[in-house]
Amino acid sequence: MDVSDILAAHAAKQKSVTVEKEIPLEVDTGFLTVTDLNPVDAESYEANLEEYLMSTARDGIQTLLASLFSLPTTSSPDGPLAQLPAPTTHLPRAKPLPKPKPMTKWEKFAKAKGIQKKRRDKKIWDEEKQEWVDRWGWKGANKAKETQWLSEVPANADVDYDPAKVARDARKARVAKNEKQRQQNLARAAQEMGPSAAPAPVDVRKKQIDRTLAVTRTSTASMGKFDRKLEGEKKLKGMKRKFEPTEMSAESEKSHNLAILSKLDKEPAAKKSKKTAEGSDVLNVRKAIRATSKGKGSAALASGGKGGKGKKGKR
Amino acid sequence: MLRTVKPKNARSKRALQAREPKEVEDPRTAIFVKGTHTGEKVNGVMKELMALKRPHAISFAKKNVVRPFEDTSSLEFWAQKNDASLFLIGQSTKKRPDGLTFVRMFDYRVLDMVEVGVDMFKSMNEFKTPKATPGHKPLLHFASELFDTHPRFIQLKSMLMDFFNGEVIDQICLAGIEHVISISLGPTPPSLNATTTTLQASTSSAPAEDPASLPKVHIRGYTIRLLASGTRVPRVELTPMGPYIDLSLRRHQEADGELLKQAMKRPKLRKQEVEKGLGKKRKNLEVDEMGDLRGRIHVGKQDLSKLQTRKMKGLKKGRDGEMDVDESEEDEDEGGGRRRKRQRSE
Repeated sequence: MDVSDILAAHAAKQKSVTVEKEIPLEVDTGFLTVTDLNPVDAESYEANLEEYLMSTARDGIQTLLASLFSLPTTSSPDGPLAQLPAPTTHLPRAKPLPKPKPMTKWEKFAKAKGIQKKRRDKKIWDEEKQEWVDRWGWKGANKAKETQWLSEVPANADVDYDPAKVARDARKARVAKNEKQRQQNLARAAQEMGPSAAPAPVDVRKKQIDRTLAVTRTSTASMGKFDRKLEGEKKLKGMKRKFEPTEMSAESEKSHNLAILSKLDKEPAAKKSKKTAEGSDVLNVRKAIRATSKGKGSAALASGGKGGKGKKGKR
Repeated sequence: MLRTVKPKNARSKRALQAREPKEVEDPRTAIFVKGTHTGEKVNGVMKELMALKRPHAISFAKKNVVRPFEDTSSLEFWAQKNDASLFLIGQSTKKRPDGLTFVRMFDYRVLDMVEVGVDMFKSMNEFKTPKATPGHKPLLHFASELFDTHPRFIQLKSMLMDFFNGEVIDQICLAGIEHVISISLGPTPPSLNATTTTLQASTSSAPAEDPASLPKVHIRGYTIRLLASGTRVPRVELTPMGPYIDLSLRRHQEADGELLKQAMKRPKLRKQEVEKGLGKKRKNLEVDEMGDLRGRIHVGKQDLSKLQTRKMKGLKKGRDGEMDVDESEEDEDEGGGRRRKRQRSE
């Protein structure tokens, strides 16, 4: 069988969709852009501008479409969707990169311990009603104890013991605790973002205005002494300087100087806080020892471990 | 500066959240501003460019006193108010007739600006041909080597790409590709040839170049017709759609180094992207056409001396002399049969 005809026909077909240029075209499929770096042909540019522009554009677009049609596709009701790669051209962003959210105390702890986040269903199954009910909220399951028609009362309960009220108080306390923790997390986040994080713009402006006013008030020839005063205008407060008495006891002088020396010896606060954040800040070691040694302390834990083993061995 | 508003209800909270910085950004919104006087030409250009930029375009109907190269405060205010990061300012003065200024913002501050003059404008209406559907993404075509070498044209290319196509998308409907915007330059003047430009760059850091010596910029809009070619890739034919705009470069302002560095920061690649092969390469791992992750592992050199091959009596050590002809033939049979035979013979 002779396949040369078929091959020739195929080559002819290919010819209509291939573009040959001196410098190969740069295609950025992510941004649907093609760049033709070949120098502009001055002759044909002068001769027929529009035709020349259209023919170069056609060649470029043919190359771009060839690379677009060779991309992997998924089907959709409107036709095939080509999966585009990430763009190779880097364009400047319109807004800065989003900052990562500061972690809450629990998130930090869970990360240190490797605890996975579990998503809790919003509804739970109520056996009595035989339907799904909300975990909280209107007719929520967390209020079941307050609304049930019969509740257990402990034997040593007071006369005025109200089980519904006790359950409600406990629930309210849980909510309050959660809110408190949330506020603490917010405060901690604000601290982390920068302890000297910008004060409110209103306060900054107020300070600026106060300063300008103070400067202008002393900017006359008499330094503000003979200016007309407005009603209710306060006297300018200057810097108050306080000096130590020339004579002071030797002890106080010594302690004063030692304080300065110790201050110099210390490492800067910024470094220190970083160091603590790295290590045991997440895990409260003292608390962990207390829990594992059942309140006996680290010494008991060190010796107690052996004792426990011995007992087991005896048995 | 605008007052920072604390949202009082869910809707305004959502609206504010939509403005917050995102890892993958939305397309840039462009504001079209008219200066104190705009001629017919500039009006036409702005109208057509707006038609191409829709729906991410906001038009300012009134005239504004705006001089982007002298005072950018009003631009910053508008950017913040409208959450827009691109401006197209049209202004025609005696000194600079038919001027257009592209302004790009970063973090509501001006990043860079390009001023061009409109030399020729031919509207879409003058071509009695089908037009592209508004909102469809155009293909972009840049033609000239200066887009890779000359700083002014690199900036122009980046600006126009941001204007028309600056949105990262992960897929596109091939049937929805309808039009092309082609940006070509005039012939490169001999003073701007590759060798001379590099020489200039090395000798003087800031050559006071005459913008008039730069080649013209031709922006052309075409629609695409796809013809069956018998192969997977169709043959492309272009039809003029308009607008046809000829521009010449005028003033410009480069991006401030520090600001540009911030603007060019990339987010870290996500795990899924790393697996696709972007970013740091994972060795010996690939996703095949079926979407399965395939890995190649290295197994140490095998010790072939201990390999158990087919057991043959002839190869056994020790028993040499007592071999039958029959049995050696039956060695070719399967093991069960062989054992039976052997039992019988014994």
